[in-house]
Amino acid sequence: MKKGSWLAIVLVLAIALAACGNNSAPAPGSGSGGDGEGNPNLTMLMQYSLFDPNADPVAKNIEEATGYKVTYEMLPAESSDEKLNLMVANKQNFDIMKLGSAQFYKLATAGALEPLNDLIDSQGPNIKAAIKEDSWESVTIDGKIYAIPETGSGISVGEELVVRQDWMDELGLKHPTTPDELYEVLKAIKKAKNIVPLTGTKDSIYGDIAAAFGVLNDWNDVDGKLLHKAELPQMKEFLTYMNKLYSEGLLDSEMPINTSAKAIEKFSSGNAAMIKLAWWSASSGEAALVKNFPEAKIGIIPYLVGKDGKSSIGVNLATTWFIAIPKISKHKEHAIKLLDTKLKKDIFIKLAIGEEGVHHEVKDGKYYPILPKFNDDLTNASSYMTGVNEYDYPAYWQARVRKDPVLQSYYEAFQENAAKGNIVVDPMSIAPPIDAVSKNKQKLTKLLDDTVLMYIAGAQSIDSYDTFLTQWMAEGGAESVKEANEWYQTISK
Amino acid sequence: MTVKTSFSEKLFNFCNYLFFILVGLTTLLPFVNLIAKSFSSEAAVISGKVNLLPIGFQTGTYMYVLKDSMFLNSLKNSILLAIVGTALGLFLTTITAYPLSRVQLRGRKWFLLMFIFTMLFSGGLIPTYLLMQNIGLVNQFPVLFLPAAINVFNMLIIKNYFEGLPDGLEESAKLDGASNIRVLFSIVLPLSLPVLATIALFFAVAFWNDYFTSMIYITNQDFKPLQLYLKELLVSSSSEFLKDNVDAALNTTPQSIQAASILLATLPILMVYPFLQKYFVKGVLVGSVKG
Repeated sequence: MKKGSWLAIVLVLAIALAACGNNSAPAPGSGSGGDGEGNPNLTMLMQYSLFDPNADPVAKNIEEATGYKVTYEMLPAESSDEKLNLMVANKQNFDIMKLGSAQFYKLATAGALEPLNDLIDSQGPNIKAAIKEDSWESVTIDGKIYAIPETGSGISVGEELVVRQDWMDELGLKHPTTPDELYEVLKAIKKAKNIVPLTGTKDSIYGDIAAAFGVLNDWNDVDGKLLHKAELPQMKEFLTYMNKLYSEGLLDSEMPINTSAKAIEKFSSGNAAMIKLAWWSASSGEAALVKNFPEAKIGIIPYLVGKDGKSSIGVNLATTWFIAIPKISKHKEHAIKLLDTKLKKDIFIKLAIGEEGVHHEVKDGKYYPILPKFNDDLTNASSYMTGVNEYDYPAYWQARVRKDPVLQSYYEAFQENAAKGNIVVDPMSIAPPIDAVSKNKQKLTKLLDDTVLMYIAGAQSIDSYDTFLTQWMAEGGAESVKEANEWYQTISK
Repeated sequence: MTVKTSFSEKLFNFCNYLFFILVGLTTLLPFVNLIAKSFSSEAAVISGKVNLLPIGFQTGTYMYVLKDSMFLNSLKNSILLAIVGTALGLFLTTITAYPLSRVQLRGRKWFLLMFIFTMLFSGGLIPTYLLMQNIGLVNQFPVLFLPAAINVFNMLIIKNYFEGLPDGLEESAKLDGASNIRVLFSIVLPLSLPVLATIALFFAVAFWNDYFTSMIYITNQDFKPLQLYLKELLVSSSSEFLKDNVDAALNTTPQSIQAASILLATLPILMVYPFLQKYFVKGVLVGSVKG
């Protein structure tokens, strides 16, 4: 009897385990592999976003428009790189992957991605028509294309300084045009209102004040050579200036720890007079401010001019997403066909901003969303994008901005102001993946940002900047600069 | 007879109370603040005006969250996980503990050592992930409770409790012709209800609160439990996540809705906790002192 009961327990356990194993056999992602009608189920890995990708109306539209049933899986919101590595190491099956630049570079150099040159030549006429020559550079390693580049919304600037206009009017102040004038304005506000006038965040250190000093982009062309912003001589001037604001109580002492929500909180509660605002936060920010102070008005300060008397704005046009087909996929041709169909002109517009008259309308050549239908069906459309028609998309995309008149007004005002100045595109935007740069980018950016915050807050003396720069160079900066310039020489000839 | 308390004792008590009230407040106030935020207008929340009382009272956030299919689905998953996980965990842990509590089991020490070994050492995250992948559990609901179904620590508590039961009970049952299984289910388990209740609670709370397992193994929206959903809700609105991603920045979740989601997710366990808390205290002692 004793033995019998033991056996029974073991048996129960074994059955329980086996049952669970069986249930999971048709793992999502394996694809049913040709169900007789031709088009197999495809699986796509996408970046995290807060919605159910398999239940969203966009997924259904894609299926209808392309004839492919696609199962979507998302990377987790956190530790997505680690999860991606796990999945690739485990040979989890995907047919299409939407990757960030660091993820793309890692997988491409590790040999996990399929070179797409031949597939695109034979199956991708629409892909070829949609993507500009320059963008292909960003996905080409040793002459092989490893992904379809997805660029964003074209040239657009995100942030600009805004100020409490009602206070400016009250104090009879004019919009500052140079850093020196900005300093005087801040001083006057501080004196009159007894607050710390300028707030900021740890995530957005550079921007218009830095631009006025000539610190524009991560990489800058100086006399035909690429210089990283860390090595620009102007960097020290910028830091000295910011440190002056900080030590005189003109810049929020919590700036090195502020999140953007915190900074907006200070501005909208009347504890700050000036903030570098992103247009996508403008709508809720303005609503909160006006609720607290009905008489409050927000004024947009034109981009400050530098020593040369002109304002300059740095813009990065680098590829944001990389649409790759992993080597492990069993349906590579179908995958590329799907990607190609999605970029067909009439289908692309439908997937991006819906049907005319239903989801969007055209006024004066501009695309406007029809609400609420646009929001119901297309809120998450960007997540499903696998490459965009680079000629049309910037115009389509603006329909998203026109969902809200306040949002739209800020967006348009920022772009208009930027257009008055000198828009400088980061020369590295069109660079192919460069080994040393890709490898060191995250580490170096963090090192630089952390240190810069210390200089601004006066925790370190700016005299020691050169010592820091040596360290920055030693930790990968030097090889990045060297390899970046080697590439730059090849295109500037 | 009342003992007269001296001044220094009074002072000591006063300081004690003050200290513990302050400690209590540090955990209570953030929660009150969260409640206030969830009932406040978004404008008031954004400008940081909400402290302990709602400003611009509204309940629309709750309406929104309660209609949100992702929230409801993950709530369903969490409840299912807590029930199935607890039932299975309790069953497996008990039937493991029972034989190990019997001295007549051959190789008992060796078996125990093997169990305790797994308590102290594990294969590490990646090998475990590979294992789950190979037995087809990744992205499947059972992965959330199967690997955690036998908890060695809980098993030891139950085992100790079983050992504390008088041997005579089992002996007399055997004399009456009961099998081992019969002894377990008719004699031992009914006598062990306190420890079983405690362990059930341990399991339920652990399954309810666990988000790490789901974060590692689950990417399928259908199987995400509530804690993972909450984590993702918060992360996807953080400035690090939104940096350089304009499209995501355009679709952020308002802070008042985040607050309402957190509150609704905490509510179920919060409501049962006060009634179960005494088992917690008892539970750790149960089985620790042999009679």
